[in-house]
Amino acid sequence: MASYSILVVEDEHTLLRLLEYRLSKQYDVRTAANGEEALDKIAERLPDLIISDIMMPRMDGFALQAALQERKETRAIPFIFLTAKADEQSRLKGMRTGVDDYITKPFDIEQLLTRVERLLERANLYQTQLDARIGEDFSKRLMPKSLPQAPGYRTFFHNHPREHGGGDLFDWTEAEPGVYFITIGDVMGKGLQAKFYAFSFLAYMRSILHAMLKTTHSPAELMTRVNQVLMEDPPMEETFASLLLMRWEPQENRITYTNAGHCRPLLVTREETKVVTYSDLVLGLNPHAQFKDTTIEMPPHSALVTYTDGLVEQQMRSGEMLGEPGLMKVLSEAFDQPKPVEWMLEEVLNNSIQPEFQDDILVFWLERLQKVDERPSGPRWFSPFLDVTDIHR
Amino acid sequence: MSFSVEPVNQETVIIRIGKALDFRNASEFKSACQDQVRKGVRNFILDFSDTGILDSTGLGSIFSLYRQVSPLEGQVVFASVSRPVQVVVQLTRTYKVFRQFPTVDAAREALV
Repeated sequence: MASYSILVVEDEHTLLRLLEYRLSKQYDVRTAANGEEALDKIAERLPDLIISDIMMPRMDGFALQAALQERKETRAIPFIFLTAKADEQSRLKGMRTGVDDYITKPFDIEQLLTRVERLLERANLYQTQLDARIGEDFSKRLMPKSLPQAPGYRTFFHNHPREHGGGDLFDWTEAEPGVYFITIGDVMGKGLQAKFYAFSFLAYMRSILHAMLKTTHSPAELMTRVNQVLMEDPPMEETFASLLLMRWEPQENRITYTNAGHCRPLLVTREETKVVTYSDLVLGLNPHAQFKDTTIEMPPHSALVTYTDGLVEQQMRSGEMLGEPGLMKVLSEAFDQPKPVEWMLEEVLNNSIQPEFQDDILVFWLERLQKVDERPSGPRWFSPFLDVTDIHR
Repeated sequence: MSFSVEPVNQETVIIRIGKALDFRNASEFKSACQDQVRKGVRNFILDFSDTGILDSTGLGSIFSLYRQVSPLEGQVVFASVSRPVQVVVQLTRTYKVFRQFPTVDAAREALV
């Protein structure tokens, strides 16, 4: 991890060098001889913390502090006053203007280091908590509040985002009665940034789908357009995504899909589990990439399972990742379970190195029942992470 | 840990990916490549001989590099691709974009 950057503002040269010397053992230190110089340095790059003298020529510490309070990007930078003025008056003045700490000269350098460390730690903690909250919010918005349903089918969905997980997304829409479009994808990257990109990406997806579904129902044509937008639009420049786009027509027992480099769907029956192999290039690499539609007939009593890479990248006790072959094996066993997704995830965890998943987990299970009237709507199961109550639409 | 960069000529370098390219070191990889691009390097040979892990963040950083050098007529090629990396490359169909060579030497010969 890159070290914190600290700006030391002090007109007394010897003290400035001493502070620079001691602090630079742990931090990236920059120096300024007065408030004006400090503002220039801050304008170049924001420091994580400022240590400043009060009495300085040109612009003193109070004026510097006041100037920082005016801009919202500098307001919150932890600020320590360092001064010979031991009187209560300037201490109070400092505290009133939003100074975080106040150390009087002569001071113990170890004490200063401890305070610096504590302030940085606190600022970092706030940031981490904030990231976690925003991340959680994004994660919820990237997931559906309900699932598509049709007579003769049952669907299951599981999503468990992790704080430091990536940009998994899932969405569906009913284009016309009985015709559903389902998207499952993974925007590359980790953490809050990936979730943010995934969120913007999903917004693009939805608007493209909304506009284009009037003229085409071909997943491949839709995918081609999504890829073009991703390549042409500067804000999306650094966004790469794998995406599976499926058109589900339950009355025909048919799924037509196009796959842009996403984990391959698996078609499970009691006899065997097959990989739905055809796929094309990941999104965001080639503006002229071609995509192809492929149609799958869903036989009675079969399930199409789609997921994101967190599942197959889970480290197993065997020393290897679960992988596609490993997942196929577990799915075959999960097939007849009342809650197949829940059962399957538990089974994977039982054989993992760690008792929890290391990345985001997203699974969508679409099952055609043996007969149309058999169990019209199956039990639903959502992760406790999502407080979803309205799952029927 | 930093990435080892071996210059081939003014426009071409070999980067040894090492054991893993994932969310932990992807930004480091990005900045190492950026330095090279700034120096005028256009062609990157990525050596995957020892690579056990390539996750989507790692792959994303390679994609960024590709998007950066392809308008400059540059290339990103994969050499000595290990089995775990091959799985990812197959899944994402990126073999359509990144040429693959059995060895670093073969890649070097093809590019120079």
